[in-house]
Amino acid sequence: MFIDIDVSQQKKYNQNAYGDYFVSKRFPETGRLLAVLSDGLGSGIKANILACMTATMLLKFMEEGTSIKKSCETIMNSLPVCQVRKISYSTFSALDCDEFGNAKIVEEGNPQFLWVRNGKILEPDFEVLTSKEFPNRHMHIYHLKLQTNDRLIFCSDGVTQSALGSKNLRLGLRREGLIEIVKNELSKEPDISSSNLAKRIVKQAILNEPDRLPKDDVSAVCVYYREPRNSVVFTGPPYHQEKDSFYAKALMDFKGKKAIAGGTTANLISRELNIPIRTSVNLNMGKLPAISYMDGIDLVTEGILTLTKTCEYLDTDEFQNDAAGELANFMKDTDCITFMVGAKLNQAHYDPNLPIEIEIRKNIIKKLSDILQNKYFKKVNVQYM
Amino acid sequence: MSKVKVNVCMGTTCFVMGGSNLQELMEIVPKKYGDKVEVTGSPCLGLCSINWEYSKAPYVKVNDETVVEATVEKVLEAIDKEVEKLN
Repeated sequence: MFIDIDVSQQKKYNQNAYGDYFVSKRFPETGRLLAVLSDGLGSGIKANILACMTATMLLKFMEEGTSIKKSCETIMNSLPVCQVRKISYSTFSALDCDEFGNAKIVEEGNPQFLWVRNGKILEPDFEVLTSKEFPNRHMHIYHLKLQTNDRLIFCSDGVTQSALGSKNLRLGLRREGLIEIVKNELSKEPDISSSNLAKRIVKQAILNEPDRLPKDDVSAVCVYYREPRNSVVFTGPPYHQEKDSFYAKALMDFKGKKAIAGGTTANLISRELNIPIRTSVNLNMGKLPAISYMDGIDLVTEGILTLTKTCEYLDTDEFQNDAAGELANFMKDTDCITFMVGAKLNQAHYDPNLPIEIEIRKNIIKKLSDILQNKYFKKVNVQYM
Repeated sequence: MSKVKVNVCMGTTCFVMGGSNLQELMEIVPKKYGDKVEVTGSPCLGLCSINWEYSKAPYVKVNDETVVEATVEKVLEAIDKEVEKLN
């Protein structure tokens, strides 16, 4: 199973920093995923620092191999108390799960998460652990076994307490209101991505406010267990020409969406598999060469320039309407991306008279895969050929 | 009726060496020659890698003739020659 996780956040109005903090880390080798959502006391910079420290420390503890229970207990016992308000500096929800459906969750102070299966909310059992130092702090510990299509929804109290005191929702949205929003969204779009679901929860929470201004930091984290969407990007001709047909066949046999980035590469696939290439009516698309078309391949673009631009787009998350924008969307829409990278060089690319510095393919792919893994939480495989 | 076939290389080297300026051909050629000439792009003509030390990108093929260091003017000139052969 693939774990689709994403967050959406809004800061309290009039603040310039987020008072909730979310961190997550994926370990592709073991299929493990760690995530922490922390809500810092108050709002603005102070809350941001508190939440950031809590979340990053907790993630680091878990990453280093300390059990989630022990890590959370340590944090719970060591969080200071605000001198003015006499409450904890921050609250948190921590998740340690894997692709086989095993999940451990610990909550301290944050609203209880939702576990959704087939449109219904499940109520799992939990263990309560009270802090020895601070008797008013309690951890809730859950052990879940998740199935395909299950969802987990975590949020900060900015969601459940949205519209607090307003005419329609005197007690705020509360858990019941959140469940209603989630059920409603899922009935409209059962396979909605985590990214969109999180955005809609946050948007709805803010729309509940009479003046449409968030009175607290609002965060929603969604986790969706689903079958992975695979894709392959074939770029560059293989080092040994005699292996061309082998790799061309491997591309066609790949189960998932397929893209080719490279003119020579596209010709090679066309020749080996006998699929004609159709070019578009334009030569250029924005500042890049236009895309081409081949039956059985979802996207065909030029190589180095397009890949470099794609890297830039993904880094800034702002896409233009050109071949690189298409390739960036292609990658963003899938969970596991395989790069088949040909190691053959085209010497003409390294002519110092070329007006644009052209990067080495391997370097771009390295940069791209780092961004896809760290910023978009994708699983990336790179295969050199 | 046979047509003059123009094939513009859209590969990396050609594109950065000036191929990006050849988009104009897509508008000029149909206006000037009607349906006698057909312009298409090619993902790569593979010419820059043959004599890479002395690459003369951008390349355009007009029928079997290769236009090196192609500009819109040079390509139109080559098309004129081929059109003449047709007549």
